[in-house]
Amino acid sequence: MLVPGARTGALRARALPAQPRGGIGGVFGDPPERLAVATTTTAAALPHAGAHAEPRGLAAWLTTVDHKRIGLLYGVTAFVFFLVGGVEALLIRLQLAFPDGRVVSAERFNELFTMHGTTMVFLALMPLSAAFFNYLVPLQIGARDVAFPRLNAFSYWVFLLGGLFINSGFLYGAAPHAGWFGYATLTEKPFSIGPHTDLWLVGLLLLGTSTLISGLNFLITILNLRAPGMSFLRMPMFTWTTVVTSLLIILAFPPLTVALILLLFDRFFGTSFYLPAGGGSPVLWQHLFWIFGHPEVYILILPAMGIVSEVIPTFARKPLFGYVAMVYATALIGFFGFGVWAHHMFAVGLGPIADSAFSLASMIIAVPTGIKIFNWLSTAWGGALRLRTSLCFAFGFIAMFTIGGLSGIMHASPPVDLQQTDSYFVVAHLHYVLFGGTVLGLFAGIYYWWPKMTGRMLDERLGQLHFWLMLLGMNLTFFPMHFLGLMGMPRRIYTYPAGLGWETWNLVATAGAATIGLSILVFLGNALRSAARGPAAPADPWDGRTLEWAIPSPPPAYNFATVPTVLRRDALWLTKHPDARGPGLADAAALVSGREPIHMPPPSAWPILTASAMLVLSVGALVHEVVVGLGAALTIAGVFAIALEHLPARAVPAGGHEAIHIGTTGLDHRKMAMWAFLGSECLFFGTLISTYLVYKGRSLSGPTTHEILNIPLTSFSTFDLLMSSLTMVLAVAAIQRGDTRATQRWLLATVLLGLVFLGGQVYEFNQFLGEGLGLTTNLFGSTFYVLVGFHGAHVSVGVLWLATLWHLTRRGRIGPGQAVLVDIAGLYWHFVDVVWIAIFTLIYLIQ
Amino acid sequence: MSAQSSEHATEHPQAGPRTYLVIAAFLILLTVMEVAVFYIPALARVLIPLLIFLALAKFGLVAMFYMHLRFDHVWFSYLFVAPLVIATGLAIALLWLLHVFGSTGLRPATGG
Amino acid sequence: MRRLRWWRLAPLGLLVAVALTGCGLASPATTLAPKSDFGRLSHGIFLEILWWDVGIFAVVAIVLLIAIARFRERDPASLPRQVRGNARLELAWTIAPVIVLTFIAFPTVSTVFRTQAAPTGDALRVRVVGHQWWWEFEYPDLGITTATDLHLPAGQPVMLELTSPDVIHSFWVPQLGGKRDTPPGQVNRILLTATAPGAYPGQCAEFCGLSHANMRHTAVVQPAGEFQAWAARQKTPAAEPAEGSPAAKGRDLFRASACVGCHTIRGVSGGGLGPDLTHVGSRRTIAGGMLPNTPAELARWLRDPPAVKPGSLMPNLHLSEAEVTALVAYLTSLK
Repeated sequence: MLVPGARTGALRARALPAQPRGGIGGVFGDPPERLAVATTTTAAALPHAGAHAEPRGLAAWLTTVDHKRIGLLYGVTAFVFFLVGGVEALLIRLQLAFPDGRVVSAERFNELFTMHGTTMVFLALMPLSAAFFNYLVPLQIGARDVAFPRLNAFSYWVFLLGGLFINSGFLYGAAPHAGWFGYATLTEKPFSIGPHTDLWLVGLLLLGTSTLISGLNFLITILNLRAPGMSFLRMPMFTWTTVVTSLLIILAFPPLTVALILLLFDRFFGTSFYLPAGGGSPVLWQHLFWIFGHPEVYILILPAMGIVSEVIPTFARKPLFGYVAMVYATALIGFFGFGVWAHHMFAVGLGPIADSAFSLASMIIAVPTGIKIFNWLSTAWGGALRLRTSLCFAFGFIAMFTIGGLSGIMHASPPVDLQQTDSYFVVAHLHYVLFGGTVLGLFAGIYYWWPKMTGRMLDERLGQLHFWLMLLGMNLTFFPMHFLGLMGMPRRIYTYPAGLGWETWNLVATAGAATIGLSILVFLGNALRSAARGPAAPADPWDGRTLEWAIPSPPPAYNFATVPTVLRRDALWLTKHPDARGPGLADAAALVSGREPIHMPPPSAWPILTASAMLVLSVGALVHEVVVGLGAALTIAGVFAIALEHLPARAVPAGGHEAIHIGTTGLDHRKMAMWAFLGSECLFFGTLISTYLVYKGRSLSGPTTHEILNIPLTSFSTFDLLMSSLTMVLAVAAIQRGDTRATQRWLLATVLLGLVFLGGQVYEFNQFLGEGLGLTTNLFGSTFYVLVGFHGAHVSVGVLWLATLWHLTRRGRIGPGQAVLVDIAGLYWHFVDVVWIAIFTLIYLIQ
Repeated sequence: MSAQSSEHATEHPQAGPRTYLVIAAFLILLTVMEVAVFYIPALARVLIPLLIFLALAKFGLVAMFYMHLRFDHVWFSYLFVAPLVIATGLAIALLWLLHVFGSTGLRPATGG
Repeated sequence: MRRLRWWRLAPLGLLVAVALTGCGLASPATTLAPKSDFGRLSHGIFLEILWWDVGIFAVVAIVLLIAIARFRERDPASLPRQVRGNARLELAWTIAPVIVLTFIAFPTVSTVFRTQAAPTGDALRVRVVGHQWWWEFEYPDLGITTATDLHLPAGQPVMLELTSPDVIHSFWVPQLGGKRDTPPGQVNRILLTATAPGAYPGQCAEFCGLSHANMRHTAVVQPAGEFQAWAARQKTPAAEPAEGSPAAKGRDLFRASACVGCHTIRGVSGGGLGPDLTHVGSRRTIAGGMLPNTPAELARWLRDPPAVKPGSLMPNLHLSEAEVTALVAYLTSLK
């Protein structure tokens, strides 16, 4: 069981006759164990697998669904965007190095800082974390892939194309220019003319889609695909931070989506959601943006905290101090993250009660954060530290993040914040958190896992040089910004006059930025050197603690020859260094040498094609409605293609359930994902309904609720939708007991009732238009049509979905073995129904 | 993934068509009550809490029986109810911050 | 490696030293030398948190440095003691921050309520309007409208009522205290009493578009008597230039040109889009606080405003040199 001499990488896959070779290209090698490329979800398809032609070269990368390849794609792409964002930062620093700088114009400068923020948040740091999620989470939990491999690929391609889309503005002089926070009214038509802001908001909707899907994917992967025995409190800390980050993504992105959609309506269709002239409020944008924006800060920092929590125990050769407290601290930071957003808005004038409430809530976050910092210090204390580059970055993280956290306490105090917000002090603060924290943490992870990912070692001396240059550079850049802020220098100014005492520190900051640039060059040199002639990495170069170090570097496509059985936390470490309570793994050697049949998902071209269709849709928003229509049609076609790609030609009989969709918990991934998605939808509709209620009675002209709403008609619609829920649940019951004829009947009934509801809505909208209530007539019209319209869109999607299921059931392609497919559609349908229950009460009855 | 978990794979709710019909009857009854309450002037004072209560009852019935949260794995309830609670909290906070509960509406600009 | 450790804190130590001594931090826009009651209140809390922060960081840094120095791997064969946690310690560093935060929370909340109290009756009201990209100051009780220079009496409470017709700006005079945004459709307030006469620069702190960097202003705090005198002068109608003088030529030109569409000069024109110019000659700066108010700079501005100030809503009127000279003569005469 215990492999002898396990201290430094003895768990290498000696048993494998043909080990995958090092280098990025070798990741997808074809070891003999790769038994099967199952094209479908059933075991029946296994015999055909040999006939499947494996794509090679570029095509293999474009169609890959392997979480490790997607992780590498995320990593490389995000790093390129990181360099782009860095060059933007350097240009900003060059412009500000001296008073009255003339390096770039005011217009370019505004584009540069807007895109620097947007790029770093959405295109560099979040996707770099996603790269680690992708590569490592399945390995850490002992899985062979994520729950939804093709959706994972889809997320990546949407991210890549979205990133190119939003950056394309630089090519035609229309890059986004209103700040990464996009405050209305500056983003509204009268103040932002041209495609700048359209590009930004459509691009963010694209990126949000990608992020939301990957958040769902990782949440379900971790909940449902943990190896046997890996209970929640045996999960590695990085996996834990991924869980919380994914939850934050699922809950925080819908409010941003709503905020962007409202802005889109303002800009494209002439509504006044954020325009005071039409009764709207620019402050609503700020609330919605920061309801997303503050959890987003934790989305950016938690993965880095997870990395540091892996790196320090490994190089201190000692367990993470206070693991359980760390888990709770992570969860609490995530939870409190939803209650503090208005501390970004103290200067907006919320009144003393709200100021105080949000101030106290924000201070509370310092408590779990402090627990984390002291637990990391205690992990190092008493350890046997190996000061490798990765650990240096982790210690750098602790020191720098502490500075950022401590200055954050100042911003939690409104009187102090009023002096510091929107000044360079806050720029210093956020960069100590996001550079000193996130970036240093991510580099700790890069140095730590590079050997695992590439199969090659990085150079330690260059790594140390990189670390010291970067630490020096960031302190030179960002520490003086505290001073500049205290000396009254506001953010986001493209120039400043001489004589305010700001010259020296600006010059120092620019020199620091150049130092950071130099350190990045050192890293790039190190990376290229490693790729060209770095020594081959053993399976376990650091005497690691988690499961990824039990398998070769880089791991084979299927990860584990045998799915591990975990007995304790720090399973691998305790297997190598067992204590009185025994090893951590049931059979460590089998992880690389076992020979159980393996199902791996086949490559698919549909993710990239569907993502491209979404790009067409987005470009259409800037170009022409016809292109929008084309893109929407292609996107729907792509979604159908993905959904039907692996549907067996003949129905699965009862009992012949689809093993590949069932996690180790015994639950179906898809059903769990649907529930998580519905949770996310609660935030989406919750935000839309809040907007309606906030603007109720604020219409400046035109008809309002009681003059126009038709209660008898909507009562009938409500009745109709409730009945459709009944027919829906009868369809589910029918397929579960194997009665496909009844299933078809009830599905058809549900579809028809859905169509009747939609017909009623069309009639109602027509009536309203006839009575003079248009989308832009007043705020009531805008909020009403957008809320009820989005509900109607959900009904339409449901009708299409159920009609498809009805058709497939009739064709004999869905049977009792796939009852869960009807079940999931049913959950969606009932959710749409309960949203209507809320709308009926809050909009129609409470006037 | 592996076969050992297969016996848990399908979760049949313990409710049958009969239960669903009863729930449907309740849902219709509650909707009729909602509309009735809306038209009864005597109830105007308690209209809002009453309507919210009735809506919550309908919401709960659909979620627990039609979406079979009552019979299903408890994780599904967590995945749905936790976001629902956060969404409700955020909605109430937003309405409070944007002065919906006060009578003033958003603070208007004075003096043009 | 041993020597490198000291490198680690060298730049930081230097910077902290600079911060503590305050040397190199002198600026006319500093937040560290408050000249109002409002500024002093926030500065007090700032200092309190600063000292807590310095202390906490010192603890973290020292523990980290000692750990790095003492706990190196010496014998790869023997493992350090596998400590998994310590409930007492963990409880201690859960409770300690709560205590520190309580010390911060109390003055914070009390200051929040004190600084946002209802205005007292004797407060001087000033309507502060943020425009893209200049500040307008209106004294409704005195009947004065001016721009860019905010005159305030020392020792008297002032209620600034902030608003904007276009986008969100943020009014900030660092020496007089914290900033407040001007979300369109909402009126925000700052209540303060300036304590020391002086001219304190400030500028818009919320990104507001192309020339956000060029939206500056000066708060001129004057002893009460001086302020009264200034106010009295501002209330008078615009100076009438002597007939036949270059200034009179400028006035006629002003009247006949597009200027009147945007600018008010009481008795001459009534435009409302640009700054009121009735007493423009008495101001320290022009063009939204961007240029000193000298004839040469004024002439440069009039020749091509968008070239001086990106995005300026005042267009290039393609004035001839003679016209510029006449206008400069007229505008500088409006003391």
